[in-house]
Amino acid sequence: MNLNPEFQRQLYLECSQARLIGIPAVLGIIFTFSYFIDGYRLGNATAKAALSLFMLITLLWGARQAVDSIVEEYRDRTWDIQRLSALGPWEMAWGKLFGSTVMVWYAGLLCLFAYGLAIDDYAALPLLIFYSICAALLVQSGSLLLGLLAVRRGQTKSGSIFLLAVIGFLSIAPWLSDVSNLTSYALPDSTTHWYEMRFSSGDFHQVSLLLALFWCAVGNYRLMSLELGLRATPWVWLGFSVFLMIYVGGFMPGSAYAFWLAAFAVCGTLTYVGVLVESNDAMRIKRLLTYFAERNWRRGSEELPIWWLSFLLLLPAAWVLSLSEHPLREFSLRFHFYPLAMVLILLRDCGIYIYFCYGKNPQRALSMTLLFAVLLYGILPGIFNALGQNGLAALFFPLWADSAGGALLCALLQTGWVSSLLYRRWKANT
Amino acid sequence: MITVDKLIFEYPGLRALDNVSFQINQGSITALVGPNGAGKTTLLRCMAALDRPVGGTITIEDIDVLEQPRECHRIIGYLSDFFGLYQRLTVRQCLHFVARAQGIADGDCPAAITEVCRRLHIEDRLEMRPDELSRGLRQRVAIAQAIIHKPSLVLLDEPASGLDPEARHELAELFLDLQRQGMTLLVSSHILAELEAYCTDMLVLRKGRLVEQVAVKTPQHHKPFKLLLAQAVPNLADILTQLPDIELLKTEHDRLALIRLSTDTQHQHAVLKALLALNLPVCEFAPAASNLQDAYLQTIRQRP
Repeated sequence: MNLNPEFQRQLYLECSQARLIGIPAVLGIIFTFSYFIDGYRLGNATAKAALSLFMLITLLWGARQAVDSIVEEYRDRTWDIQRLSALGPWEMAWGKLFGSTVMVWYAGLLCLFAYGLAIDDYAALPLLIFYSICAALLVQSGSLLLGLLAVRRGQTKSGSIFLLAVIGFLSIAPWLSDVSNLTSYALPDSTTHWYEMRFSSGDFHQVSLLLALFWCAVGNYRLMSLELGLRATPWVWLGFSVFLMIYVGGFMPGSAYAFWLAAFAVCGTLTYVGVLVESNDAMRIKRLLTYFAERNWRRGSEELPIWWLSFLLLLPAAWVLSLSEHPLREFSLRFHFYPLAMVLILLRDCGIYIYFCYGKNPQRALSMTLLFAVLLYGILPGIFNALGQNGLAALFFPLWADSAGGALLCALLQTGWVSSLLYRRWKANT
Repeated sequence: MITVDKLIFEYPGLRALDNVSFQINQGSITALVGPNGAGKTTLLRCMAALDRPVGGTITIEDIDVLEQPRECHRIIGYLSDFFGLYQRLTVRQCLHFVARAQGIADGDCPAAITEVCRRLHIEDRLEMRPDELSRGLRQRVAIAQAIIHKPSLVLLDEPASGLDPEARHELAELFLDLQRQGMTLLVSSHILAELEAYCTDMLVLRKGRLVEQVAVKTPQHHKPFKLLLAQAVPNLADILTQLPDIELLKTEHDRLALIRLSTDTQHQHAVLKALLALNLPVCEFAPAASNLQDAYLQTIRQRP
């Protein structure tokens, strides 16, 4: 049988006889205990134990396995062998995702089976199974995505990535427990408003979950394509940014200002995310400029950093918000909402981070940037503010300026200074 | 035919490959030599579509490597300097995975594994894991992985490092065997002695630039001969230049001479007869071994 080779390799690694026998044996012992607790029957304690175990196994162990399926390759220097294979990106991605978690699903399905035996009301079971499996797939798929990003950044330690998976577990586990109780979902009048349309909350959550899974799969495909050396323009990131703008915009109260505010928040966040997750390589910018100089637009666009795209989408949102009148303009007497100045501050922050990425120790770029952020956002403006020097405070944190023009000037000064430092370091690197 | 044209690769602050251009003929074994840091591994990685250069093109059998990397991977084999073996799989499983990943049908895998293992003499190690094998055996398993799909071009980065003399000899035999089967090999190394036995061409890289491309073993009508006398004969160079149909390359201390002769054995016999007729105390008259290291050093000296 011509199985996916990567899936088959993972089966070689994961499906040992000891595991195939050991996992049901351990689970059997646990459920025997819960059977005693339930008074010699499979009842509530068994159901709770089964669901908790399912979440622990599929969310935590599954996330770890998915991350390691890629990071381990990089660490053991076998990744080049995989990159040289004739496997396509999709084959490689699903082979890794489902192959590395095959024992996780073996154990998880045993838990779900025990859960099914322990409950009395089967009406809610299909929905719970749907949410459990989709949530686990989402966390595992997201973990693979994080693993791929780590590999692209040259990160070989999976601990910090796994930490993100734990955060995913902590956010999903309570929600899944709620689903098992069927509180909100059983209510007939539980609705979600999206662009002034009304949807059943349950249906809306299910579609949202499937959409999240879809984008995770697309992200994995795209990153795997890049790892395998396939050339691609960053349309996926652009598509995802637009999708998220529209999706989040639907939850805002119905006005154009609210939509653009959501778009501003989404694109701003995605700009930060984009600059953090990608490898900020000085040579990439050189390649990009070389291709653009040669008028090779396709090759040039392949080298575009994804945060540039989110930043470009941010500009029209900031422009529209700047021209609109709204109570959000002033949060308080001292603190103002100046979208164009915020755009420049965001550019400054990205510039600082990339400046450290181009340094001798790029591993410390994030911590150094956070240190500077504390200085620029908190300590320095705080000191000047305490001294009553609001003008100087605004120089460091322009949103404290009294006018949009003043804020823009302060932000421009900072961004210009950071840009010149960044340019000099980039020149030195290339 | 493999063509590399104006290849440029840069690391931050360093141009690792600077306008490198060359062609390699089908069926040749080319030595890629140069000092440490010359750019050999970078060149091989670019040719294997593992790293992306800033500029230039690489074409292997009409496939643009930089545009169609996956198509390129189907026709090349690559041995990295750190092997890339899965330590938790057996040798059989490693080879089965690579065979399948290179598109060999599951049913054909056992035959492919048997054949490549026979060729590399690792049939009896199939159920062992790579971490249980010696360095030399791991090297062979890695080479087996690189050639199991019978690629037309094999790129080998320092294939003989850490091997004992016997294993190196076997490796040379293997490379010649692969060449006979029509494969083209590009072998990087900075140990020239190991390349001597099998290379037909040599590429010399230095500081990211291609210094020289020479044919080491080509069919020749003339070849160098070494003449050694039992004792020095005054004006040996003058005596030798008077002989017809020979070209004097150099003399040392009027006792040793290097001359170029026709490959025709009758002519060689006639020259030896003439030397003896001149009453020269000949004690050695034989083809001079071509020395890759000499050629390399000569190239480096000529083009610093």
